[in-house]
Amino acid sequence: MPPVRLVFRNLLKHRTRTVLTAASLAVAIFLLCVLRSLLVVLESGIKASASNRLIVQSSVSLFVLLPESYQAKMNRIEGVERTVRWNWFGGYYQEPKNFFAQFATDVEDLFEVYPEIVLVEGSQEDFFNDRRACVIGWEIARKYGMRVGDTMPIIGGLYPRTDGAPWDFRIAGIYRSVKPNVDNNTLFFHADLLEKAIESGAASGPEGVGVYVLRLSPDADRVRVAETVDTLFAGGPQRTQTASEAEFQAQFVTMIGNIPFFVGSIGGGVLIAILLATLNTMLMAAREQTRDVGVLKALGFQDGTMFSLMLAQSLILTTVGGMSGLLLAFATQEPLAGVLGTVFPGYHITARTALEALLVTLLIGVLAGIVPALRARQLSVLNALRSVG
Amino acid sequence: MSAEALIQLKDLTKTYTRGGETLRVLDNLALSMERGGFYALMGPSGSGKTTLLNLIGGIDRADHGEIRIGGIDLAHLSNAELARWRAASVGFVFQGFNLMPVLTALENVELPLLLTDLSRSQRREHAQYALELVGLSDRMHHKPGQLSGGQEQRVAIARAIVTDPTLILADEPTGDLDRKSAQAVLELLTRLNVELGKTILMVTHDPAAAEVARTVVHLDKGRLGRIETRPREAAGA
Amino acid sequence: MALVPFAYNLRSLIVRWPSTVLTVLGIAATVAVIVGVLALQQGFTSLFREQGREDIAVFLRQGATNEGDSAFTRERAMILMKTVPQIAEDAQGRRLVSAECYLAVRRNKTQGAGETNVSVRGVMPMSFEIYGSDIRFVEGRNFVPGTDEVIIGSKLANRIEGARMGEILQFNTTPFRVVGIFDHDGPFSSEIWGDHDRISEALERPVYNRVVATLKPDTNWAELAQRMDQDPQVPSKLLTEREYLTSQTRVFSFVLSALGVVLAVIMGIAAVFTATNTMLTAIAARTAEIGILLSMGFRPHAVFLGFMLEALLIGVIGGIVGALAVMPLNGIQTGAMNFQTFTEVAFAFRVTPPIVAGSIGFAAALGVLGGAIPAWRAARLRPTEAMRRG
Repeated sequence: MPPVRLVFRNLLKHRTRTVLTAASLAVAIFLLCVLRSLLVVLESGIKASASNRLIVQSSVSLFVLLPESYQAKMNRIEGVERTVRWNWFGGYYQEPKNFFAQFATDVEDLFEVYPEIVLVEGSQEDFFNDRRACVIGWEIARKYGMRVGDTMPIIGGLYPRTDGAPWDFRIAGIYRSVKPNVDNNTLFFHADLLEKAIESGAASGPEGVGVYVLRLSPDADRVRVAETVDTLFAGGPQRTQTASEAEFQAQFVTMIGNIPFFVGSIGGGVLIAILLATLNTMLMAAREQTRDVGVLKALGFQDGTMFSLMLAQSLILTTVGGMSGLLLAFATQEPLAGVLGTVFPGYHITARTALEALLVTLLIGVLAGIVPALRARQLSVLNALRSVG
Repeated sequence: MSAEALIQLKDLTKTYTRGGETLRVLDNLALSMERGGFYALMGPSGSGKTTLLNLIGGIDRADHGEIRIGGIDLAHLSNAELARWRAASVGFVFQGFNLMPVLTALENVELPLLLTDLSRSQRREHAQYALELVGLSDRMHHKPGQLSGGQEQRVAIARAIVTDPTLILADEPTGDLDRKSAQAVLELLTRLNVELGKTILMVTHDPAAAEVARTVVHLDKGRLGRIETRPREAAGA
Repeated sequence: MALVPFAYNLRSLIVRWPSTVLTVLGIAATVAVIVGVLALQQGFTSLFREQGREDIAVFLRQGATNEGDSAFTRERAMILMKTVPQIAEDAQGRRLVSAECYLAVRRNKTQGAGETNVSVRGVMPMSFEIYGSDIRFVEGRNFVPGTDEVIIGSKLANRIEGARMGEILQFNTTPFRVVGIFDHDGPFSSEIWGDHDRISEALERPVYNRVVATLKPDTNWAELAQRMDQDPQVPSKLLTEREYLTSQTRVFSFVLSALGVVLAVIMGIAAVFTATNTMLTAIAARTAEIGILLSMGFRPHAVFLGFMLEALLIGVIGGIVGALAVMPLNGIQTGAMNFQTFTEVAFAFRVTPPIVAGSIGFAAALGVLGGAIPAWRAARLRPTEAMRRG
């Protein structure tokens, strides 16, 4: 039976050193968990995309609107069950930093086309019947202390009112999204309201529709429908680009750049720094324990056992540090999700991220411990006993 | 005469090469040692006495020759087998004690037992018994840093006998001790030899240590010098 | 006060070289990552800031934060262009003022890397007079006003599909031909330019996004800005081009700074721990030597300083190694999304002397932080105790 107790005692003997190394590991693993989780958020939004929805946008620019006349034309395409307008409103609540998404939409079709959006408070009827009504995601409700029946004034960014006043929306409902592809940080209101306001001159802003969302019938050929739409409008006035919801979500991610690469590089840099720190500690420990290894071998312990002990020492140290970092990541999940909510909705540490953290921890433990372990195995008894340590 | 000798050395040679020069530390040595004997290996520096001890203890390998202990030729054992043999057959006592500073006295003595099949409670028992033998039961939970030099060496001796090995090999066991502690250690070794019949090989400079041994083997430049034997009754006091 | 001979400290570092090397590498890695991030930030911001001219005025709609948000109707733009008295005139007596329309247009990146957004700018001929020699043609010629021709910035050449002389770029339903490639030291080198009328018609954008002008040299900018803010007909926001471009770097710059700080802290912590560990062990091993030094008559603060110098040296060497490792990045072209305008901008990494100096200083600080506690402990040893323990 290997003297495992020795490993623990040795780690405890040099408490400062053990704590310092474990602490820097904890910090590094914590950072890696956070970075990984940011990537996970981006991926999960894409993965959870519905396969029966297509997004029709301008092929020219994200900032160009499509004509209203397109809606009726698309409704007539075979395979299309419903179409919904989504107009990015671009406003904010009280201050520019209180920014979240607002969309003017065809409210009666919204819940049909997006069954993920479920009202947990208020009623759809109420929402449909009052043109000035809106529904908000529960995270907005919580952040600003809003309840059904309250009025939420939104200052129009893209669509300022001519009288300079904010847009007053009465909250008719609070929703919760049951899948990660729709976040809980959005406000939906009547597209009719916006249309009428611009027509009457009460507000100014670009006319048209930001994107159309098409819900397809179950047996529709997604690719064929998309092609039909784009061909239909190839002659203008605005050419379209129709994509699956997954592609639509993904385009924003790829536009920002090669995020996985960037995050990976940073993660790599941090890991190298940590690996060096841990390796340094293990080599120091090995040097100090040279004589002990000699004694153990003299007593009759096998070379392989010495190898295992050294490696175990490294693994125990890294596991304690790494798991502390993981715990810290879990502990800060809520507060970080609150801070990052608007840009990275649904931030949380998945089981897979935790597993990856564990694997990285073990890998560092092995890499940092392998050299001292090999050395301990090779050490001749006499040389070890003679060592001054 | 006694039964077949426990240790039989034949043509034993060990050389070191340093800077182009080859030194013969042991030169075709031949020697027999009896079971139950108490041998002191003496000689000037460089005489090869420590090397001889190391070779018998299986922590060094000869370049040439035979080392038969209990009938087994050590040269034929692999490193792994040698380790197992040491665990079963040898107990070491070093000049610098070489206890694990992070373990208590009891845990130190228990170490060699980890190489056996004994259960945890059995190990505890044996270790406690060994500490009792050397008179340090009251110190069993102290760490080496809390013990005097003499006490440390007695713990080391307890460790050396806990597995009931065939041989006890001691390399200058009194070298780092004051007169009084040295005496206590030598008395202990004598008791182990006389009362428990342990075979002891001790490398030493110390004439007082040589006094307690019954056979003194002199080495010079890797070769056997004179061998003095004292009758059983005259040894120790 | 006699200082401990530095040769002693230096030799100790060399004798324990594995730990010294690992500590140096840890600090070097930290510095390398930080310099990399800062070089990225510096490359981006200097593209905007340094190339923005302080004598060119940019008029935006009141309340707009960038030209994408801003909009002037044709009439309002004309009023602005014709009536502001501080607008300078060229040799022929023409007012040096131009209106531009702007849109971030989708384009495919080369090598199938997906889509990105490219800035497309419709300009009047006067724009070229205003920007003057900032715009230099490297291939082909300028577009003829009123035609479906475009010129492209040189940095687009390897990044966007179809960004070559003679290629047809389709905007909505209108094809435009590339007739020239131009160079600009600032962000225009990632843009596509064409005739304002033709571009705005093709993109169905009947508004101008901004008005640019050269103002008379004696203009009181602050006064004019205030007047434009309160103008009854065309209330607008006035900035110098430099101010405008600088404002566009705010978000990206902030994000990279924040990233740099986070990385500096985390990797710095690891590096400091490594340094502390190394020095603590070194001092433990050299206790006897320290005892000897103390008994020889060297005062504790001399011992302390000696070890601090060791730590400082490790830090500085680590900083230099890290900076050297990343130096090759300097000048390498890369691109990033400007989050504020959501358009792709190409620029080069810039490793500047202040960045290098600052990073080495940071590394030195890391070394010193790491060495402080060990040095303190060393200085507090009592000679007899030290020599006995060692």
